[in-house]
Amino acid sequence: MRPTVILRLARKEIVSTLRDTRAIVSNLVIPLVLVPVMMIGMPLLLGSLFEREQVTVTSVGVVGEANVPAALRAAFTAANLALEPVADADGAVRDGTVDVAVVIPTGFEAELADGGSATVQVHSKVGNMKSELNASKVQQAFAGYQAEVVAARLSAAGLDASVLQPVTVQTVDASSQAERSSGQLSWLIPFFIAIWTLTGGQMTAIDATAGEKERGTLEVLLVAPVRRAEVVAGKFIATMTFGLSAALMAILGIIIGGAVMARLIVPRLGEGASGMVNIMGGSITLTPATVLTLVVSALLLSAFVSALLLGIAMFARSFKEAQSYVAPLSFLFVIPAVALQFKDLIGLSDSVYYVPVLNVLVLMDNVVRGVGGGREVLITWAVMLVAVVLLLRFALRNFKRESVIFRS
Amino acid sequence: MNELVSANGLSKAFGSVKAVDDLSFAVKASEVFGVLGPNGAGKTTTLRILATLLQPDAGTATVAGYDIVKDAERVRAAIGVVNGGMGLYDRLTGREILHYFGGLYGMRSAAIEARIAELDKLLQLGDTLARRAGGFSTGMKQKVVIARAVLHDPQVIFFDEATSGLDVVARRAVIDFVKAYPSAGRAVVYSTHVMSEVEELCDRACIIYRGRKIAEGTVAELAAQGDGKGLEEAFFRLVNRYDTSRGVAA
Repeated sequence: MRPTVILRLARKEIVSTLRDTRAIVSNLVIPLVLVPVMMIGMPLLLGSLFEREQVTVTSVGVVGEANVPAALRAAFTAANLALEPVADADGAVRDGTVDVAVVIPTGFEAELADGGSATVQVHSKVGNMKSELNASKVQQAFAGYQAEVVAARLSAAGLDASVLQPVTVQTVDASSQAERSSGQLSWLIPFFIAIWTLTGGQMTAIDATAGEKERGTLEVLLVAPVRRAEVVAGKFIATMTFGLSAALMAILGIIIGGAVMARLIVPRLGEGASGMVNIMGGSITLTPATVLTLVVSALLLSAFVSALLLGIAMFARSFKEAQSYVAPLSFLFVIPAVALQFKDLIGLSDSVYYVPVLNVLVLMDNVVRGVGGGREVLITWAVMLVAVVLLLRFALRNFKRESVIFRS
Repeated sequence: MNELVSANGLSKAFGSVKAVDDLSFAVKASEVFGVLGPNGAGKTTTLRILATLLQPDAGTATVAGYDIVKDAERVRAAIGVVNGGMGLYDRLTGREILHYFGGLYGMRSAAIEARIAELDKLLQLGDTLARRAGGFSTGMKQKVVIARAVLHDPQVIFFDEATSGLDVVARRAVIDFVKAYPSAGRAVVYSTHVMSEVEELCDRACIIYRGRKIAEGTVAELAAQGDGKGLEEAFFRLVNRYDTSRGVAA
């Protein structure tokens, strides 16, 4: 193999792709803009919605409004809940008049005053986020009222309220700073990198294979005194360049998004919203070592994807046909990346580091959360390297097969 | 070296279909050799074998003195190929395309520029050199395709249905170029189904039908088999004779 020939082949593919405005927008601009927007926008949106729901006075339908004791009415008012009489609790929730409705039975206050118990109903739509959120506010108001009634009864019996809670359970967050700041959405980083590695390399890979066939330039190239291995290597380098550049743009987007969030947004938010931002992973910050591990992992992922794309797209007769071949590949990345959010429930064993692609996704998720060790990194990188070599052999085989080159 | 192309018993099958069957011919320096036959006769497969793109199932061939199987890379360095379906890179200019391929043939930048200047005069490349190929007309495209094929001054150039789809002006430019190309050390193999092109261009030709060579000779010798009615009549008589001998209905 002659390096000058390989670089000449790669350079031509790179120049050709760089002159395609669509490729530049999808490879460089979109990841750089979309990733920070999603990182900042999503948690901010949910955080502000959460905060708004806390302070907004919500109408609660009530059947038996006359039966509501003054203390319970006060608890509702304190929780920003306004009682609105309705005739039918279920009907009012169903037709959207209110998000939640309560039914207070006749004699409710008298029953409690006599030391008895009473049942109230809370009607909400299970599965409707807003309805459930307001239902939980209502339940909190009832809980507050109930605590008052219990305290009064204990006091009348000469007992202290602490008698009901002999054991105090204190929960302590044992996660590291990195785990805490990555929240529950650390999987989004491998997800973004994987998706843009695939998207970034796709156009170049298809253009360099099925596109060459469709234009009638492949035959010209193959009758030049170049070796098939050089052709594959040149196209591989070009494809990887764009896959990696898109992934790097996504990483840069994550860094920018994290910095903007930590320095400009979080300090200005209320407690509720900033808590939500943390849960959603909006305060992810990456250390230089994390970035380095992400970059090397993205490089290997990009090499894997590029070799796979070249091998598969070479089968196609046209650009369109190649697109239909490679489209299902996104599932290969999206499904494991999305499944990563349930990693704690699934309980991943060490064997995942031997499964190409999945291992890189898990590794990237680990480094963002600051967990995992060097052994996992080495296994992952070695497995990916072997997989890349095998896929390159697959691509080369296709570039040598007459039935593939002249498939029409 | 007198024979620039020598094919001996070439055969190639795709599944159960014999595309080329025991084909032999030789092309001497300074001649335009025609490969004449209807669509599907095996012309393109033959040329692809000689251009090292396909491996023959049987038989041997040399091009510019090099074996097409054992010395494929040297064969490719000594040939140029032009066919009707060849395209260009839409986002590169004519000059960039020529520099790209010149580099693949091991030419230095200055040598490529000098050769581009020569080919510009010969083919009137004009503003195709500065414009991106995506906006070329068919004629402009074919000029750059030819320039690319002869950039490295190959000993043998293969034309395969090279005038297909071209307008009359572009077609004339291709034919004029083919006429002028052969010299003491160079030859052209010209594959076509158009009889008039063979009559105008070729010194000698072979007729391929159903993968087999059914006749070979000078154009005058081939045409003589049509009893004075021209090459087309001769072609049909040869084809009918072949089908009859094989028991195939005409």
